Amino acid sequence: MTWLAWRQFRPQATAAVVALATFAVLLAATGPHLAGLYATSGVTGCHIDSCDRLASNFLGLLGGIDTVVYMLGIAGVILTPAVIGIFWGAPLIAREFETGTFRLAWTQTITRTRWLAVKLALTGLAAMAVTEGLALMFGWWAAPIGEAARVTASQFPLGMGPFSLPAFDAHGITPLGYAAFAFTLGVTAGVLLRRAVPAMAVTLIIFVAVQIAMPLGIRPYVFPPVHTTASLSGYFSGGQTITPGGGFALAVDHVRSEPGAWIYSSGAVNAAGHPVSIMPAACVQNNDPLPCLASHGIRVAVTYQPTSRYWALQWTETAIYLALALALAGFCFWRVSRRRY
Amino acid sequence: MIEFHLNSRSGLAPYLQLIQQVRHALRLGLLREGDQMPKVKDVAAGLAINPNTVLKAYRELEYEGLVAARPGIGTFVTGTLGGAPLSAHGPLRRDLQRWLAKARRAGLDDESIEALFASTFRSSAEDEGGMGRWAG
Amino acid sequence: MTAVIKTERLGKRYRRLWALADCTLSIPAGHVVGIVGPNGAGKTTLLSLAAGLLAPTAGTIEVLGGPPPENPAELARVGFVAQDAPVYAGLPVADHLRLGAHLNPGWDDALARSRIERLDLDPGQKAGKLSGGQRAQLALTLAIAKRPGLLILDEPVASLDPLARREFLQDLMEATAEQGLSVVLSSHLIADLERVCDYLIVLVASRVLVAGPVDELLATHHLLTGPRRDPATLPAGQQVISASHTDRQSTLLVRTSEPVLDPAWTVSEVGLEDLALAYMKQARPARRNHHLEVQQ
Repeated sequence: MTWLAWRQFRPQATAAVVALATFAVLLAATGPHLAGLYATSGVTGCHIDSCDRLASNFLGLLGGIDTVVYMLGIAGVILTPAVIGIFWGAPLIAREFETGTFRLAWTQTITRTRWLAVKLALTGLAAMAVTEGLALMFGWWAAPIGEAARVTASQFPLGMGPFSLPAFDAHGITPLGYAAFAFTLGVTAGVLLRRAVPAMAVTLIIFVAVQIAMPLGIRPYVFPPVHTTASLSGYFSGGQTITPGGGFALAVDHVRSEPGAWIYSSGAVNAAGHPVSIMPAACVQNNDPLPCLASHGIRVAVTYQPTSRYWALQWTETAIYLALALALAGFCFWRVSRRRY
Repeated sequence: MIEFHLNSRSGLAPYLQLIQQVRHALRLGLLREGDQMPKVKDVAAGLAINPNTVLKAYRELEYEGLVAARPGIGTFVTGTLGGAPLSAHGPLRRDLQRWLAKARRAGLDDESIEALFASTFRSSAEDEGGMGRWAG
Repeated sequence: MTAVIKTERLGKRYRRLWALADCTLSIPAGHVVGIVGPNGAGKTTLLSLAAGLLAPTAGTIEVLGGPPPENPAELARVGFVAQDAPVYAGLPVADHLRLGAHLNPGWDDALARSRIERLDLDPGQKAGKLSGGQRAQLALTLAIAKRPGLLILDEPVASLDPLARREFLQDLMEATAEQGLSVVLSSHLIADLERVCDYLIVLVASRVLVAGPVDELLATHHLLTGPRRDPATLPAGQQVISASHTDRQSTLLVRTSEPVLDPAWTVSEVGLEDLALAYMKQARPARRNHHLEVQQ
C-alpha cells in the first residue's frame, strides 16, 4: 500500500521538490550578501538606545531583490498550507470517489482503514515536511531581517515584528500545524463531498476563514497580556493624533524595553490612571506637545504580549492546529469505514 | 483435433450441438480412435460458453462409450459409432449416384430431389419405429 | 452444494427508495450465474452488497459461508470488477500489476503477466488511454490474478463493441475453467449472458422474479398456443407467467414441472431471452395503470 500511495503521490511530490529546490537556489544566491550586510550593521549586541537607529539603517540598505525574496518567502510559507490543502488534500479521496477507483482499491486484499491510514500518513507527513522545510529554509535566510525588525519600530514590509500577522504565520513551528490542518481539512471535504473541485473550493473557504479567525479571535487570548504604563519620554515611540478643539490620542507601536512585543492597545492616561482624550489647555499650541503633556502627569498605558511569550504561543497554536487535524483525520476514518458506498 | 462451432439459432442446446458434431466427425472419419479431444477450458474459451456445458457434453459422450477421460492427461476417443465409416460404403454410394442420374433424367430439379428424398426418408423412418435419435 | 452467495430477505434503502427489497437467494458454487434486469433494477446494489462495498438495510447476506468481505482473509477470496471497469487513469498497465502484487498476498504474477502479453497490452501505456475493451480486460486480469474463489462482475461488457465483448467472455470462460471459479455477473442484455451462464436470476424493480439453473428453467417453462382460454382455468400445477390473447387464440407462457397433457395446446420451447422478458413484462403492467390513474 505504501508503494501505491507513493506512486499516486509522485507527481505532486516532484512538483513540490522542484519548487523547493528553485526557491532554495534563490535563497542561497542572496543569503550570504544579506548576512554580510547584517554583520556589518552593528545591530548585533547594540545598545538599547541605538538599536532602533542601527536596525532602521540596516533595513534601509536592503535592495529590491532582497525585498522581493522576502515577500516571496512570506507569501510562499503562508500560501503553501492552503495550496497543499487544495491540491494534495481535497483530491486525495475525492478523486477516488469521482473516478470509481475506490471500488478497485477497496476490493483488493486490504482494509479500508489501512488504505486510508497509509494515504493520510504518507501525504500528510510530506505536507508537513514540505511546509516546515520551506519555513525553516526561509527562516534561516530571513533571520537578519527578523532580528532587525524586532528591535525597530514597525515598517512595512521588512520591519514587521515577530508577532505581526504575516511573520508569526510564516516563521517558527506554526506552518507545520497549518499544513497538517489544511491537508486534513481538504481530505475531509473530499470524503464528505466526493467531488474534487467542490472539495477544493470548500477547503479554501474554510481554511481562509480559520486563518483569519485565529489571529483575530484566539491568538490574543491564549495568554493574558501584560499591562503597564510608561512615561512619555524615553520609552515612547509611536504616533499621536491631534484634532482641533484640543482632542488628542496617543498610540504606541514600539516599547523600547520590550523590543518586538505585540502591542494590543495603548492610550494616554492621567496621573490617576484614567484615560485622557482632551489636552490640557496649556499644551494646545505647542509644536511638540509631548514634554508639556508629560509635565502635566500624562502617561501612556500599554497592553502587550512580551516577546518571551513568543515560543509558548507558537507551540500552543501549533498544538491547536494539530489537534484539529487529528480530529478531522479521525472523522475521516470513521466516515470511510462505514459500509455505505 | 476437432474444432467446435455453435449455431445460436439452431434451437438445439449447446451441449447437444457439441455431441452432434463429435458424432458427425466420427462418421466422416475426421475423428479416429485414439485422437485427443480438445481440453474443456480451450473449448469453453474458444466458443465463449460455460465450461459446465462442455463437461456435460463430454460426460454424455463418455456414457455412450465414445470417449474416455484419463485424469491428468486428457479426454480421448475410444469408440466408434458402430459400422464402418462412410468411406467404406462404396456400393451404396454408387447406387445413390445411379438413382440421382435417373431422377435428373426424369426431369426433377435439385429442390424436388431433396423434397422427394426427405419425405420418403421420414415416412420410412416412421414406419420402422423411429430409427436414430437425431432424425429431424 | 455449497452456496457462494446466500441472502435472506436482503434489502437496501437509500433515503426513501428501496434499491433492493426482500431478496432471498441461494446461489450455488461452481456456476456462472447471470443476473439480468433493466437499469435501476438493483443489480449493482446486490453485487456491491456481496462484494462488501455496501451494508444491508434489512435482511442478511452470506458470502462464501461468511460475512461479505471486510477483513483481508475474506477480501482475498472475492474478486470484483465494478461497472465501467475503473482503473487509475494516470498509472500505466505495468503499475496496475504492481498494485495487484503489493495489495494481494495471493497474487499470481506469472498469470497476470501472461494474460497481459496475450492480450497485447503495452505495459507502459497509461490505463486512461486504453480502449473500453482493454480496460475491461485489465480489470479482469487484476481480479483473476489474485486467485479468488468467487468473481463478481457488474455489467462487464455493457459498453463494449461486439468483438471486445466476445473476447472478454472467452477469457472469462477460460479463467473459470482453469481456476474452477464461481462467477456472478450482471447485465441488462440477456444475449450477453445466454452463452456463458448456467444459472439465471431475473431482477426487476428491486425484486427477484425468478432464479434457477438455466437447464431447469428451460425445461420447466413452455409456450402454449391454442384456442382462446382464460388462464385461470389451467390446472393448479401450471403457473401462468404471461398471457396474450387475440379473439380466437391464446398464447401463454407457463411454468410447470409436470408434462402438459391437454391436447388443445401446442407446446413449444422457450428461449432464455423470451423467458426473461416475460417475467420482466409481468412486473410492468401495474406501473402503467398507476400512471394512467394519475393522469386522470
